[in-house]
Amino acid sequence: MQDIVVIGGGPAGLSLLAALKSSPKTRHLSCTLIEGSSLQSVRDFLVEPPEEYTNRVVSLTPKSVEFMQQKVGNWDFIKQDRVRFYDNIVAYDSQDNDARIEFDATQIGAGVLAVMCENINIQSSLIGRLNELGMDDSTTILDNTKVIDITSPIHHDLDQHDLNEIDVNSGKSDLDWPIVKLSTGESIQARLLVGCDGYNSPVRKFAGIESRGWQYNTFGVVATIKMQYEDHRSIGWQRFLSTGPLAILPLSEDNATIVWSSTPWLSELLLKVNPDIFPHLINAGMTLEEVDLKYIYSMLDKDPNDFKVLDEIQWRLSKIDIKSLEENYPLPVVELIQNSRARFPLKLSHADTYVAPRVALVGDAAHTIHPLAGQGLNMGQSDVGFLVDALEKGIERGLDIGSTMVLDSYVANAWPGNHMMLGVCDKLHKVFTTDFGPVVLLRGLGIKSLNMAESVKDLMIKAISGR
Amino acid sequence: MAHFNALASSWWDVNGPQRILHKMNLLRMDFIYQTVRNHLRLNPPETAVEDEIYIPPYGVDLLPDAIKKNIVAEQEQRRDEILENAKLTVLDVGCGGGILSESMARLHFIDSVKGIDLSEDVLQAAKLHRAKDPMFVNGKLSYQLRAIEDLPTTEKYDIITMFEMLEHVEYPSKVLLAALERVEVGGWVFISTINRDFISWFTTIFMGEHVLGIVPVGTHTLDKYINQTEIREWFESDPQRKEAFSVVDAKGCVYLPAYGWKFTSTPDVGNYFMAIRRMK
Repeated sequence: MQDIVVIGGGPAGLSLLAALKSSPKTRHLSCTLIEGSSLQSVRDFLVEPPEEYTNRVVSLTPKSVEFMQQKVGNWDFIKQDRVRFYDNIVAYDSQDNDARIEFDATQIGAGVLAVMCENINIQSSLIGRLNELGMDDSTTILDNTKVIDITSPIHHDLDQHDLNEIDVNSGKSDLDWPIVKLSTGESIQARLLVGCDGYNSPVRKFAGIESRGWQYNTFGVVATIKMQYEDHRSIGWQRFLSTGPLAILPLSEDNATIVWSSTPWLSELLLKVNPDIFPHLINAGMTLEEVDLKYIYSMLDKDPNDFKVLDEIQWRLSKIDIKSLEENYPLPVVELIQNSRARFPLKLSHADTYVAPRVALVGDAAHTIHPLAGQGLNMGQSDVGFLVDALEKGIERGLDIGSTMVLDSYVANAWPGNHMMLGVCDKLHKVFTTDFGPVVLLRGLGIKSLNMAESVKDLMIKAISGR
Repeated sequence: MAHFNALASSWWDVNGPQRILHKMNLLRMDFIYQTVRNHLRLNPPETAVEDEIYIPPYGVDLLPDAIKKNIVAEQEQRRDEILENAKLTVLDVGCGGGILSESMARLHFIDSVKGIDLSEDVLQAAKLHRAKDPMFVNGKLSYQLRAIEDLPTTEKYDIITMFEMLEHVEYPSKVLLAALERVEVGGWVFISTINRDFISWFTTIFMGEHVLGIVPVGTHTLDKYINQTEIREWFESDPQRKEAFSVVDAKGCVYLPAYGWKFTSTPDVGNYFMAIRRMK
């Protein structure tokens, strides 16, 4: 029997565990975290991180960083040399090169707009924090352990309830706590079961919570790359192509990560393209006209190893004014880190609620978002914050923390903000993936005027950075 | 037994007929916790001088922000430490299905809770529900079919709670006296009842009983409602009582549909909670 069982050892699950163990009010709760895969690479990263960057990189808002510093306490265990702070994000439109918008955080005196950090860096920092707090009997992490089944103890019909089962005075009874059956043969009964178990959340299915949304018929391709040299500008770049946004996000030194959202066909092509051609394809994607890109894609579609495209790209780049190229575009990409390309489907989903009696959902189990604004992981962090607040309050009030009397305030605080963020990113995706003339014209006008409307932009900067 | 079980399940169904009571329990717990916490003696007499924390003789709001923050943080930490080691005993008078008793028994600074009530039915319901949380197997929470007057006066408690009860008894002053006799020096008596005014009649009797039917008609009688000032006057009226007890706080509260219970700006209208402390 455990007070809290957390399913999923990703950043959301580990953050929740570390936050619970950091709070004086919830520290005493017995908690078990269950993760299906091995966390060995995460533990190794803490001791000796690999030289090359891993390909799963996320953007953290300053608010999430503050949360990690103050509430969870894992920020000190982040490998700071692998983290990159941004004070500026430049977004521009492939169908109207003058339509560009700069979000400069120094304008609102904030300094930092976003922080790029590897997923595994966050996970390992949380393990570091949990080690620091001391893993006693009340903190258990079971990795390499799969959840076979989640069941609810049978509810008897009340009128027919055989009361011999309950001995009023001895305190024995059949609990209504969910039972988690593990691949190790063990079963754990949980006062509160928290699903940090991703988009296909088994916990959500167990609780019968409906999740609504849609597939974008779009895939995100991520890769780790090397730039020509270190860019000291600390700018994140995003270009809205008609196939979806392409972002280059510099990491430390000459490293960078890319996220290229595109059609199913193009995303497959991006994975197939010869690793030596790939960097040039990104350079083309960040600078060339849509028609040129279409031509280059078609050449590569015929033969992904066709090195003739390099000349085609070079020739087209040479026609762009060199000064503009230096000022308005990211540095050229020169190398793809081996085996760092990966593809995943993009979708939007939002659960109707995040709680049921003795169940709570956190992170991707509750919502998945288009990555164009880099908000996914941050929404999970804010979920963790609100859930821990609710549990702290529930404990202060002497309530059963599995009760909806405690959990309701988590939904009330977390759901509306997430819903707005999901909606905004969904609309941005839709506006930018169209090549329908009037919309292109309007969005160009919109971006240009927005770029001049400082006060509106300041608000947007605040929203992006979670302030 | 089936009857108790039905009662237990409806009493404890947070979305059922007792939802308003469950919601009110949140505010009761806030009131009790904050009152106890805010009135802890931060430097008890036996504290060594070097361990004493600084308590400014005037409001901290007059101090510069940074200093204020430090002082408040130090005080809060001391409160945590004191509560960490506290072991208070609680008597919940009119405990019903045990909503407040269970909440009190879960607090880490509470050593034991005894719930008493005059209805055997509701006590059975309370016991049935107690069995649903393994936290209570240690016997921290007990229930007895008993009136407070029947408990020996030698049995003293650190906290005595009498919520939503005084307005249902024939002689409230007798019950209140019985509670005062059984509270430890430095201990607390928490009560709640309803002011005798139009607002109270409108919310608890007209809306609660007749329009919305949340409680059965006849549950409340306006004549039995007690104004908060009357209780204060009752304490003032007897010199011994006046010296031994102090009405530390009283807060009005109101139920807002779709929100829950909320403290109001005055204890003189509608429902209210009151904290009474035994000084000597």
